Amino acid sequence: MFPEPQTRISQRALVVWRISGSISTLFVFLIGGGFITLGILFNWPLMIMVAIGIFMLVYAWLAVFFLPMMRWKRWRYEVREQEIELQRGVFIIKRTLIPMVRVQHVDTQQGPLLRKYGLSTVMISTAATVHEIPALEGVEAERLRQSISRLARVADEDV
Amino acid sequence: MSSPKRMHPIAALLNILQHLKELFIPILLLLFFGNRGESEGMLYLIAVGVGLVLFLVSGFLSWYRFTYRVEENELRIEHGLLVRKKRYIPFERIQSLDVSEGILQRPFGLVKVKVETAAGSGNGEAEAVLTAIKKAEANAIHDLIVSAKRGSNPNEVEAFPDESVIYKMTMPDLLLLASTSGGVGVILSANLAIVFQFEEFIPYERVFQEMEQFISNGIMFISFVVFLGFFFVWLLAVIGTMLKYANFTLRKVEDDFIITRGLFEKRQFTIPLKRIQAIRISENIVRQPLGMATVYVESAGGSSSNEESSKVLFLPIIKRHNITQLLEPYLEDYEWNSKLSPAPPQALVRYLIRGALVSLPVIVVMVYLFQIWGLLSLGLLAVTSLWAYLQFKAAGWSLEQNMVTLRYRLIIKNTVYMRKNNVQSLSVKQSLFQKKKRLATVEAVVKSGQGGSGGKVLDLHEKDIAIIYNWYSRENSTVRME
Repeated sequence: MFPEPQTRISQRALVVWRISGSISTLFVFLIGGGFITLGILFNWPLMIMVAIGIFMLVYAWLAVFFLPMMRWKRWRYEVREQEIELQRGVFIIKRTLIPMVRVQHVDTQQGPLLRKYGLSTVMISTAATVHEIPALEGVEAERLRQSISRLARVADEDV
Repeated sequence: MSSPKRMHPIAALLNILQHLKELFIPILLLLFFGNRGESEGMLYLIAVGVGLVLFLVSGFLSWYRFTYRVEENELRIEHGLLVRKKRYIPFERIQSLDVSEGILQRPFGLVKVKVETAAGSGNGEAEAVLTAIKKAEANAIHDLIVSAKRGSNPNEVEAFPDESVIYKMTMPDLLLLASTSGGVGVILSANLAIVFQFEEFIPYERVFQEMEQFISNGIMFISFVVFLGFFFVWLLAVIGTMLKYANFTLRKVEDDFIITRGLFEKRQFTIPLKRIQAIRISENIVRQPLGMATVYVESAGGSSSNEESSKVLFLPIIKRHNITQLLEPYLEDYEWNSKLSPAPPQALVRYLIRGALVSLPVIVVMVYLFQIWGLLSLGLLAVTSLWAYLQFKAAGWSLEQNMVTLRYRLIIKNTVYMRKNNVQSLSVKQSLFQKKKRLATVEAVVKSGQGGSGGKVLDLHEKDIAIIYNWYSRENSTVRME
């Protein structure tokens, strides 16, 4: 629609997303494998088992390769003097504007997987909403947190 | 005002009643299920009796220990039997006093005052509650708070505050409000469901031939009873609404809007002008054809779980075209007359598809189950298509210098007026399908109570969406348009 925000999130996010995608794929394979075993035991039609097999493969491709890639490609943000702009989404692209004057506070957050890769998630809260920038490099996240709270403090208008 | 005061003794009684209400079921259980054998039964009764006495004493003592006073621009409350608690609330922090008159308070000229601050105490309770104090006292506290907030001497409170009545509910309005509220939807759909059932199981022609047999089957009788049941529920809802909203009055006193309502239990709400985040005009399906609408204001703050303090019923029922004229003088920051632009024609298809997605699965199942008779459920497709068309017609937007208006319909048609400064964040969304048709979705969020509310319009033209987006952006938007 209009020009994209410029900054990308860390490339290591891709690795983290692929790992969590693999974990969920593992569960899908366990369940799917269970069904196929049942199918062999009880002589289900071959078609059903083929369908389950295809589903598992498609899921693995989506969760490990396609979705993390698209998600990473799409994820952009920009922190400007007076506002923050976010862009995300794979099939539905969502753009959000958060004026600095509306920012109440900024948090950073780090799960075990993110910590292993030295990444953090930044959460920006307004009076009514919370927005999240996933997987920024630790230093970058900290810098961002500080600059947003500095800029947010300068501006004061009524709520 | 500075010496510690106790509440009216009625407060002790109210306190005890409140606790009894909470313990009602445990006591019942104890009385009915604990009663085994003569001697043990006596023991239980004694235990319950002792418990009750303890209750009364503790209720009395906690009333005795509860004092409040006004000191150094703070409301200071001290209470607690074993653990003595003090709570000092600075006047500047107090956002509103919610005054209500219960049945027990009224004969003594007392009121219950709830003090609300911005900090929701987490569990959704008001910061402080004075269960029963004299009306004059409540007014005195209110005046003190108002003058303290203005930073002036309490003695300089204007003798005649600038007050005007904006709206007063009349009896016909009250009747209309009660009879066209959500309850009608329930009864209509119940009727429809019954009619539909007839159509699906027994086609009408055959029904009329076999009427006698039909009645003896009792289906007619049962559905009649069900209908009566729904009617009764609806009637109760109507009466409930009438009691709740009787004498509804909206006044503006200086910079506050004050709402009073209720027949047996009088309630009073204060909405400071500054805390209003958005104005919402809702037209439900029954009221819209009558040209009537309901106006809500979204207000910031208030306790978290309290729906009533975030989305406040402002004008319960009013002619749609009178709203502007009525509110314009009091809400000067809002532009009421800006013309809304509709969704582009290519959006209609998407609205229709969304509607069909709701009805098609039902139709497929119906045809599968009832074969040819299942085709009757195609009527459902007509209903959802009409609904989708109405949604399409409702979609609209307009911009002013400092204000955005969004109009949309889920079931109720909503028009939301938001000032730019009150919009907390603005998002636009575009799916691949939308992109092909050059459409996009816009959503604006305002603060409401402790959470968010706002407006979301699907499938506007992406050119229009870009205009809204750039309007909200605070950095050289014109350059970014190119």
